[in-house]
Amino acid sequence: MTASHAPSPAYRGRRAMPGPGPGAPTVVPRRLTAAQRAVARRVAYVMASFALAFVGWYLISHYVAGPFLIPPPLAVLKAFGPMSESGQLYSDIGMSLSRVAVGYTAGVSVGLLVGLLMGRIKSLHDLLDPMVQITRFLSPTAMIPIVVIWFGIGETAKYALVFWGTVSLVLINTIAGVLRTPQIRQNAALCLGASEAQIFRLIVLPSAVPFIVIGMRLALASAFVSIIPAELLAADSGLGYLLQQSSLLLQTDRIFVALVTICLVGFLTDQVFHWTTTILLRRYLAVPS
Amino acid sequence: MSLATLTPAKPPLDRAVRPAREEVYTIGNLLKVFGEDKPYVALKNVDLTIESGEFVCLLGASGCGKSTLLNLLAGFDKPSGGQLLYRGKPIAGPGKERVMFFQDANAALLPWQTVQQNVEFGLKLQGLPAGERRARAEECLTLVNLAEHRHKVPSEISGGMRQRLQIARALAVQPDVFLMDEPFAALDAITRRRMHEALLEVWEREKRTIVFVTHDIMEALTLADRIAVMSVGPGSRIAHVVEVDRPRPRVPGDPELGRIYAQLERLLHGPAGEEAGR
Ligand SMILES: Nc1ncnc2c1ncn2[C@@H]1O[C@H](COP(=O)(O)OP(=O)(O)O)[C@@H](O)[C@H]1O
Ligand SMILES: [Mg+2]
Repeated sequence: MTASHAPSPAYRGRRAMPGPGPGAPTVVPRRLTAAQRAVARRVAYVMASFALAFVGWYLISHYVAGPFLIPPPLAVLKAFGPMSESGQLYSDIGMSLSRVAVGYTAGVSVGLLVGLLMGRIKSLHDLLDPMVQITRFLSPTAMIPIVVIWFGIGETAKYALVFWGTVSLVLINTIAGVLRTPQIRQNAALCLGASEAQIFRLIVLPSAVPFIVIGMRLALASAFVSIIPAELLAADSGLGYLLQQSSLLLQTDRIFVALVTICLVGFLTDQVFHWTTTILLRRYLAVPS
Repeated sequence: MSLATLTPAKPPLDRAVRPAREEVYTIGNLLKVFGEDKPYVALKNVDLTIESGEFVCLLGASGCGKSTLLNLLAGFDKPSGGQLLYRGKPIAGPGKERVMFFQDANAALLPWQTVQQNVEFGLKLQGLPAGERRARAEECLTLVNLAEHRHKVPSEISGGMRQRLQIARALAVQPDVFLMDEPFAALDAITRRRMHEALLEVWEREKRTIVFVTHDIMEALTLADRIAVMSVGPGSRIAHVVEVDRPRPRVPGDPELGRIYAQLERLLHGPAGEEAGR
């Protein structure tokens, strides 16, 4: 008889444990799958992070800066009440979002189109790339003074600034995606009889999707980063304008409402983008290329 | 005299049923030079004729120019000089009668399409109607034993299956020639062996011409009718062509194969091989 046939000490030990008497309901602890545990862990950490932020915020407000410079969380919540009730906050959110939407759509369209062309046509790439590389260093904020002279302080100026903040990110990532399409994949398609146009549409475009999505996601964040200074300096509505007005009136609690709102709106928009693309483009994103 | 003539029975089946042979590739005095400022002569004085239905292996050390030659045969690249004819005509570019088969299946396949869609891809390019596409794809997938996996995507099947998928995809467009560049080099020994069997089975049924690049003598001996041994570069050429007139499946105990193995070993690694390279 081999050792493996003998009950293991652990097994014997479990048997020997005083268990529930006969007839008592046996409670089998439900075991979470590895994926469920990972999600639970992540949620726990996110909550812990926010809790830590609030505690830190409160402590600094209370002991270091004082409630005027940094209003504590509860004061900010109090300021939020009337702003929400009057609807002013939501109309500001709406204004900022609509500017982001128009500027972002324009930036993505142009960046995508020009990026695809530049990725595919070498001479066009070599001609335009130096311009892209050099103008990349002009942030949307740096462009405000001249854009205001060009377009005034109307909506067009805001669209233009968001456009400026998004187009190069989409452009650069789209070019990278096109150039990184495996040559082997294109050659394989050539062998199977694909034309140049078919290679572009059926091979290059799908292969570039992961890069394009990354560029669009970075650009979305940049759109939010771009719109606030534009509204700070030249607007009569929007979250940036709210910040500016509250600052003039020294309403730090309202400033904090606006800041928290920008965080939340940006975060939620990013999450919507992330999950939409993840679901719709799953096939193209889960690609080891 | 080769041992095949001593084995009393019929000649190997694949030879008996093969129709009259035609020249598929005619390569004469071929030259390939890379670069302009510091030119590198990759191939020089390459001579080889490949006939229809033949299984030819290009054997040579790493960097000797095997891929370079195969790319010329596919039409991905142009020769710098000499003669390169496909069925009597110069090669203008890649075409679906000469399908290349790559070692890196992840890069070669379409990862966002299912196994079935990958096989149908070439047929779709030709504008074949959906029903016909499906039927042809089914047939090719069955031939390489992948029919039951047709709804998976390439990342969900094994490396060996991905290579069989490449075979099926190539078969679907009914090419004249298979060009294979060390297709199984990245697979483990057991899977590679299975791939050899699968490929030979397909080849014996379909009677395609196959040009198969390898640096592995055993692989060449398992597969080829003829083995073209390339000398080391620069200025690599086909130093020897060795006939392997042995029935398949080739078994390791075959003394004639042993003799050819020793000969190839000498050609590749021995001082005579170096000499032959110049
Ligand atoms: N596009 C290229 N430009 C310059 N040199 C090249 C190019 N392609 C291959 N070579 C050179 O030609 C030689 C043969 O390469 P290759 O055909 O890839 O060898 P193999 O496939 O036998 O390993 C190598 O020395 C390689 O560096
Ligand atoms: Mg090679």
